[in-house]
Amino acid sequence: MMKKFNKIVISGLVILSVLASCKKEKDDPIIPNEEEVITTLNYTLTPTGGGTAIVLSFQDLDGDGGSAPTITGGALDSNTTYTGVLELLNEIESPAEDITLEVSAEGDEHQFFFEPSATDVTIAYTDMDANGDPIGITSTLTTNSTNTGTLKITLRHEPAKSATGVSSGDITNAGGETDIEVTFNLDVQ
Amino acid sequence: MFNKNLCFYFFLLLLPVVSISQDCKLTVSGVVKDLSTDKPIIFANVYLKESQKGVYTDSLGFFKFESMCEGDLHVNISHIGCEVQEIFFSLTKDTNVIVFLDHNGHLLNEFKVEGEEDKATTQESQSINSKTIGENSDKSLANMLEGISGVSVIKNGSGIAKPVVHGLYGTRITILNNGVAQSGQQWGVDHSPEIDPLVANKITVVKGVGALEYQGSSLGSVILVEPNKIDNEPHLHGEARYSFETNGLGNGINLELQQYGKLFAWRVVGTLKKSGDNHTPDYYLTNTGNQEANIALQLEKKWNKKWSSALYFSSFNADLGVLRGSHIGNLTDLEEAFERKVPFYTEDNFSYSINSPYQKVNHHLLKFQTKYIINEKQWLDFTYAGQYNLRKEFDVRRSGRSEIPALSLKQISNFIEGKYRNYLPKNWDLNIGFQINHVDNTNLPETGILPLIPDYLGFETGFYGLITKKMEKTTFEFGGRYDFENRKVAAISTEVPRYIYRTENDYHNLSALFGVTHEFQKNWKVAYNIGYASRNPEVNELYSNGLHQGVSGIEEGDPTLNKETSIKNTLSIKGNIKEKLFVEGMFYNQNIKDYIYLNPQDEIRLTIRGAFPVFKYQQTNVRLTGFDIATTYQASQRFTITAKYCYLKGMDQTNDLPLIFMPSNAIFAEFDYELPKLGTFQNVGFTVNGNYVFEQKNLFASQDFVAPPEAYYLIGLKLSAEKQLKKLKLNLYLRAENLLNTTYRDYLNRQRYFADDLGFNLVAGVNIKF
Repeated sequence: MMKKFNKIVISGLVILSVLASCKKEKDDPIIPNEEEVITTLNYTLTPTGGGTAIVLSFQDLDGDGGSAPTITGGALDSNTTYTGVLELLNEIESPAEDITLEVSAEGDEHQFFFEPSATDVTIAYTDMDANGDPIGITSTLTTNSTNTGTLKITLRHEPAKSATGVSSGDITNAGGETDIEVTFNLDVQ
Repeated sequence: MFNKNLCFYFFLLLLPVVSISQDCKLTVSGVVKDLSTDKPIIFANVYLKESQKGVYTDSLGFFKFESMCEGDLHVNISHIGCEVQEIFFSLTKDTNVIVFLDHNGHLLNEFKVEGEEDKATTQESQSINSKTIGENSDKSLANMLEGISGVSVIKNGSGIAKPVVHGLYGTRITILNNGVAQSGQQWGVDHSPEIDPLVANKITVVKGVGALEYQGSSLGSVILVEPNKIDNEPHLHGEARYSFETNGLGNGINLELQQYGKLFAWRVVGTLKKSGDNHTPDYYLTNTGNQEANIALQLEKKWNKKWSSALYFSSFNADLGVLRGSHIGNLTDLEEAFERKVPFYTEDNFSYSINSPYQKVNHHLLKFQTKYIINEKQWLDFTYAGQYNLRKEFDVRRSGRSEIPALSLKQISNFIEGKYRNYLPKNWDLNIGFQINHVDNTNLPETGILPLIPDYLGFETGFYGLITKKMEKTTFEFGGRYDFENRKVAAISTEVPRYIYRTENDYHNLSALFGVTHEFQKNWKVAYNIGYASRNPEVNELYSNGLHQGVSGIEEGDPTLNKETSIKNTLSIKGNIKEKLFVEGMFYNQNIKDYIYLNPQDEIRLTIRGAFPVFKYQQTNVRLTGFDIATTYQASQRFTITAKYCYLKGMDQTNDLPLIFMPSNAIFAEFDYELPKLGTFQNVGFTVNGNYVFEQKNLFASQDFVAPPEAYYLIGLKLSAEKQLKKLKLNLYLRAENLLNTTYRDYLNRQRYFADDLGFNLVAGVNIKF
């Protein structure tokens, strides 16, 4: 009987030693390569007739938490047409990664929507995906009378581009998931 | 060896009536009795497999077979509500058998287990037996337990389900898989336990005040998933199960084989399940399919009379689809989803395919146990268990990254346990033991996303002692436990540039319980229990920081959180009036100090994806009060009515607010009509049931994005029958769920923000025992 009892004790000790060999300190976690994050949106508006470009910019360098984002609105001239170019950046990476390329490569799965609160501002798409539907990376923005208000820019992933009004820029029936939703102050002088 | 089945156990009294063996002139006779009342059970089916002869017990519970030959004999005994059981012996002389069936057990979900290992406890528990498990083989563990009063289920769709007992879930209850605390990512509300319920012969919910003999963070209740010991039976036996369900076109097969071989006893159980998109009354729930492949191997060896060992290995592997339309980007999307009748991305056609978002879960358990019986009164038990848990969650992502998990966690745990039991004189029963557990939790860096919870090492050690004193009518139980936990965390900063920081926490916890049961008036038992327990803050509560996409909120942990401490009282009464009306009631009150919860903040945080509400893990003092009542009225031998009512109210006492995410109150009623014999079928059962779930009114509008769903009721039907086909015993069943195809949403189903719950479902299945 003692013999068997010893066996139990010995097997217990073996397993204890297995446990004792477990790690005492956690290895350093590997910091993931956050290549998917979008930290920055720039909407560059260049007057078609020439002049200084205006950049509307949203920048949140540390992602969702931490410090608050920096939002820069802009002052536009009235009765002017601008060419607009959107740029998305991941500035956590160094050098910054241009996410716009990912969006344009998957153009059929993405669409930007522009919602000005100032009714006197109109925005039209000037690009299209493989199916002939708009993406919104390039656009034209036209101002009329002087006005102040906001411009909301939304990027939807996998929207229903064929739904009513979506290809002309109406977000109502678009669905999909919001990847970006930022609002800028606009001052049309 | 003793047959230790649930609903049933037997004594073989090999009475030497005639000691000289005579060819084919032997008699096998016996009586079938009710375990709890000792009364005869009439119309139990007794079947001899070798001679393919069957009889029913008479009004005295008596049966008899004459002109039997010498040789091996397999006897099947079956009765409504009990699983088919088999006795094996070699017939050499006239034999008389007394068989005990626990017929009352199935009336109150209470199955007695007789045997040396069962510790007397004063805590109330309810179980489902292997017959119930077999007839619900299409369901997940949590959904199977839903029938037990006091148990509800948190779901994320239908495939991802988590049990809730008396309002607590996740790391506040402990789930034991074959005696080992399940070690995985139980902190996640949408993480279901990684256990195949079909490996179990019995699943028990201890609706208790503490689980001192187990390691884990239970604040009261415990769920035990237990395979039986392998029957002492030299022939190969097993059971094959197949089920099909119309909602989701789900198919499941399960095969169990076992043999008590000369060298060792073995059992192997394998399960394959596949189902596709579920359907509400009006539309498909696109991407809600799931698939599972599980296997379990059990080996037992009795070295000698005193020493036995068991090896157990189980592997659970599942892909669980998540409703495509529930994957949203920000609060605007969530609000839009509430407005929609049909979720985004709903396809018109059924599909088995599982795309992002989905979860891929693997869990493997290896357990070695050895037991040494010192003498009749004392034994020692030693267990080692290793668990490997892998969880990958896939989201819809840009540029082909949907193939890369957005969350990828690996957990390895090693556990050892030693237990000692001693039956002391004068009915004192002493149980002591210790446990050591080491957990290594790692985020796999493949995700390209900052992890939700940090990497950590946990080292837990604890010891306990329990003393039970049994007197004629009264039983006392006292227990205490001490736990030490050390947790070393290595986390990545949320600031950029990212850096690694380390923290370490030590926790010392004491738990205690006291319980008393008293029997009175022959048929009645009253039990009172009080327990003190604590739970250390989980890593997600301490360190999570970031967007929780499924609920569109930013969740912030708090590294300074304290442990929760709980005092729970339960008072239960059960008994019967003239063995006609069976009553069971349990009242409970639980006060938890420093209860950790997600508190919505006034802050709305602006991110590039829009504005999000901020939730912080905070602590408050709460009180959970409720009762579960179950009654069964046996109107006649054939007709039974069951009614259950569950009530629970959870309050945040510090802030005088209702507690969110508490189960709704519910009433359940069932009518059973049972026929011992119908044509060539036996044990034919016909059941109609109704479940009424109240609206969760104990909640303020400001506490959730949308108001809790309205009350609903569902009607179900069930038909089951058994048939003996030579040596095969067939159990056929047909189950209809949501018979009226009612459109409803359930408060505890997180998918309710986006879609309706399941519509009509018909499940057909066959279990073949051989």
